[in-house]
Formats: sequence, structure tokens, C-alpha cells
Amino acid sequence: MLSDITLGQFYPGKSLLHRMDPRMKLLLVVAVIVFIFVASTFTTLGLIVLLVLTAVLLSGVPFGQYAKSLRAILFVVLFTSILNLFYGSGEALVQWGMMRITMDGIRRAIFVAVRIGTLIVCSAVLTFTTSPTQLTDALERLLTPLRKLRVPVHDIAMMMTISLRFVPTLLEETDKIMSAQKARGADLESGGAIQRVKAMVPVLIPLIVSAFRRAMDLAMAMECRCYGISARTTKMRQLHIGTLDIMSALLVIVVAALVIVGNMLLPGWM
Amino acid sequence: MNPILETKGLTFIYSPGTAYAKVACDHVDVTLYEGEFLGVIGHTGSGKSTLIQQLNGLLRPTEGQVLLRGKDIWAEPKKIRAVRFQVGMVFQYPEYQLFEETVMKDICFGPKNQGLSEEEALERAREAAYFVDLKEELWEKSPFELSGGEKRRAAIAGVLAMDPDVLILDEPAAGLDPKGRDKLLSQIRRYHKARGNTVLLVSHSMEDIARVADRVLVMNGGKMAMLDETPKVFARGEELEKMGLMMPQVTRMMARLKQLGYPVRGDELTVEQAVEELSALYGKGGQAGC
Repeated sequence: MLSDITLGQFYPGKSLLHRMDPRMKLLLVVAVIVFIFVASTFTTLGLIVLLVLTAVLLSGVPFGQYAKSLRAILFVVLFTSILNLFYGSGEALVQWGMMRITMDGIRRAIFVAVRIGTLIVCSAVLTFTTSPTQLTDALERLLTPLRKLRVPVHDIAMMMTISLRFVPTLLEETDKIMSAQKARGADLESGGAIQRVKAMVPVLIPLIVSAFRRAMDLAMAMECRCYGISARTTKMRQLHIGTLDIMSALLVIVVAALVIVGNMLLPGWM
Repeated sequence: MNPILETKGLTFIYSPGTAYAKVACDHVDVTLYEGEFLGVIGHTGSGKSTLIQQLNGLLRPTEGQVLLRGKDIWAEPKKIRAVRFQVGMVFQYPEYQLFEETVMKDICFGPKNQGLSEEEALERAREAAYFVDLKEELWEKSPFELSGGEKRRAAIAGVLAMDPDVLILDEPAAGLDPKGRDKLLSQIRRYHKARGNTVLLVSHSMEDIARVADRVLVMNGGKMAMLDETPKVFARGEELEKMGLMMPQVTRMMARLKQLGYPVRGDELTVEQAVEELSALYGKGGQAGC
């Protein structure tokens, strides 16, 4: 069923991470992602993996969910790893013609796989514990300084919120229309690529028509409530940076410092 | 009467194994007989829609079976489309499924999917258009130019044109004005009488159900709460109220009159029956000098 595709994939809960300020979460996740790439040795990368694993444990989201998001990019990980496998320098362990695998190549392959995996899990922690609305809210707040440059930050955030808001609605609508056409004997599941695209016409046309209808209805409703009349709107939910947020920021700063120091002090791949 | 569609321990769970898991249909056993008119009631979220979507194989039951003429419809999953031609389904707000250039082409979509020739499909479509009283001058128009009521009828014709043995309608009259409602309902009844097929009607309107259904199935919390002849179901007013449902207005009134000691039956389901009963009473009462 279409509802299996979860965008934003928010996993409701009450864990420490769910309760954090979304702005702080967003910033910290960006910071951690940067440091995933700064870390150049196994020890420092391992440090970040530990940090991310701690976050995973604290998030209260079942491991299965993380495994699912990892599975989705398994191909990318394998592809880059295998590519890296052949780019190592040093003495060849195995060799077929041009292709040679070295100890260095194996190290690179593992390193890259761990890096990408950590990256995905790290961003999954954010999207699992933060609702899409919170995320756009956080983004809007963080981008507020751009208002000085006449960037319509609020409108951009509003557009993001609306599109995110309508993803499930349109998915549900698609599901309904597909069911209705299937009930009329439409064959959406078999046939070649061209046949399948053709078979989607009875679904797409009603879907587009209904998307327009919804857009007009929403525009009307927003106008009726005087959207855009006042320059500044206040928020129903105010964001607060609390002790929890400061503690997590400190933790990330400590790990980041260790990564930099470790990178400088540790020799080579260690 | 022969059973045409049966469910055995039908159970459906949405998103099993996740935080969102929800049992929408819980061990439901219903039998539909050939030629009967079954009404289905239940308040929002009682599992009506989930139940009916399993009847034509749009949803695959988590547990249990749907038997069409004694054969499990999922015995051969590849042939599920054939089931959908035999068990026709009109969704809520079916006008949102219209997509073709002309009304006629849209009505022909179903029959053509059945593998009928152009002429046969057209023949079926014309007949269906006749049943829902869709005037000829509309046939070559774009479905998006039609009025709301006309769109609704065109969409219903699209399902009737497949000539299903069992016709399932989910709130076909929702959002129509009272006149359109009555008209649509009598068209469905006329279709049922003319074809002698089985009809399952889901509705929130107790009045509608009382007027057309032979039997009524009451769903509550995903479970089958009652299944009986229409007057018997509506005689259980108190139980219905506990499930957020009600007797038809006129039945409620007559039941109250009976409570107050008037010599009426108290289970009249339609205004016509009530008028008959009351005018008899009025006649007598007049003589008694009330």
C-alpha cells in the first residue's frame, strides 16, 4: 500500500530526543554530519559512531526502523565501498589484470561504508524524533536573520509546511483513486513499463484535478482568515532552549574537539 | 436463497507490527444472499469501509476468508481482477474518479477492462446511463463540465456498466441535496429490482437504510454488532444509541407514541407506514371524541 512510503517518517514518542528543541537538534545533526567527514581515522570515526549510537538508544525508536532506512541505501553503500576497494595503494593482496585489492583498499572500503551508514542513521535520528512541522518551524527560526536581506523566510517556511502537510493527504487520495479505478478493473500492476505508465493515466488525471481543487480551497480558506495581512505572526508553540539542549550541545562539542585532536595526533588510519 | 458472498473470520489490521497498528475489522462473519438488499450502518471508524474493500479484493484480509459463490477470492491472487468485475464497488464521492474526455468514454472504462468489444461496452454504458437517468445530451460532454449530481450519477453508471452480480455502494448519496438523495436512492432500488442482483448499501442515514434494505448489518468498533431483518434491528433502539446510531426519526416518534399508550405498532420504518397507522388512529380517535 502507498501508506508504506513514509515521508518525514516521524516516529511519535516521548524520549529525551523527542523533547529537545528542534533548532538545537537540527544544528547538532548538521554539526555531527560535518564531523563525520572531518574524522579521518578509525578511532575518531568510532567516537562519532558511539555518539550516534547513544542518540539511537536515547531516541526510543526501535532498531528495526533504523535498519529499514539503512536498507534503503544499501546499494549506494555497497557501490561506493566496492569502488573504493580497488583504489587502494600499496602491495596487492589479490590481482586480476588491472584490478587489484590491497590492504589499504579494504580499509578504505570499510571506512566509507561506516561513514555513509553513520550519516544515514544520524539524519534518521532527526527525522524519527522530530515532526515535519517542528522541523520547518526550526528551519524558519534559524533562517530568520535572512529576513534582513529581504528573503521571504516566513513564506518559504509556510510553503514547506503546506507541502509537507499535503503529502499524506495526496498519498491517501492517490490510494483512494487507485482503489476506485482498480474496482473498475484497471490493471495497475502488470505489463511493461510503457503499459504501466499508460495505466496510470486514470489515476493521475483525477489526482491532478483534486490537487488543484484542494489548492484553491486552501487559498480561499487562508484568505478568509486574512493570511498575509499582518507583517508578523506569532507562534502558537514557542521554542525554548533548555538544560537538555545545552547538555547535548556540550556533548557534541566535546566529541568534536576529541575528533580534531585525534585526527592530529593519531598516525595514518588508526 | 443461495449465499453469494460470505466472509469467514474476516480480520484486517492496518500497519501490523508498528506503533500505528490498528484492528479495523475483527473476525466478521457475514453472508450475503443472492438478490437481497443489505444495509450496513455504523458510525465513523466502525470498520465499514475496511469490510467492504475486502469483499471485492481491494484489501487482502490479514486473516480469514472471503468466499464468492463458495470459492475463496484469494485462492488465485492473479485472478483477483475477475472478482472485481463480479463484485462492483462504488466508493464514497465517486465523482473524483472521473478522468476520460467524455462521459460515455468514462462509463465504458469498466466494461472495456472486462474485455468487451467497443459496441458491447457502449451498449452496457447506455443501459447504465439510463438507470441513473443521465440525459443523452450529457454523454459527449467532458465529465468535468457536469454538475455535482450529474458527475455522481455518471461515476455510479461507470460501475453499473460492468453489470456486477454484487453491487456495493459506500454512501452514494453523501453530499447531495435531499431531492438528489431521494432520486438516487430510488434509482438504486429500481436497478436492484430490474436486475435482481445483490446490493450492499453503506449509509449514515437510517431513513435511507430503513426504506430500502431487507436486512441490516450493524458494525461497531470493527466488530459485527447486529445482523438481522431491518425492522428487528431498528427495534433495538437503545442498543443502537449506545453505538452512536439511532432509529429512523419516524420510528423513534412512533415508538414514543406507543410508550405514551397510543395503540400503534411502534416499529414503523417509513413515513408512509406511519401515515397509514396514524390516519387509522386519527379516524378512531375522532370517533372517540379525543
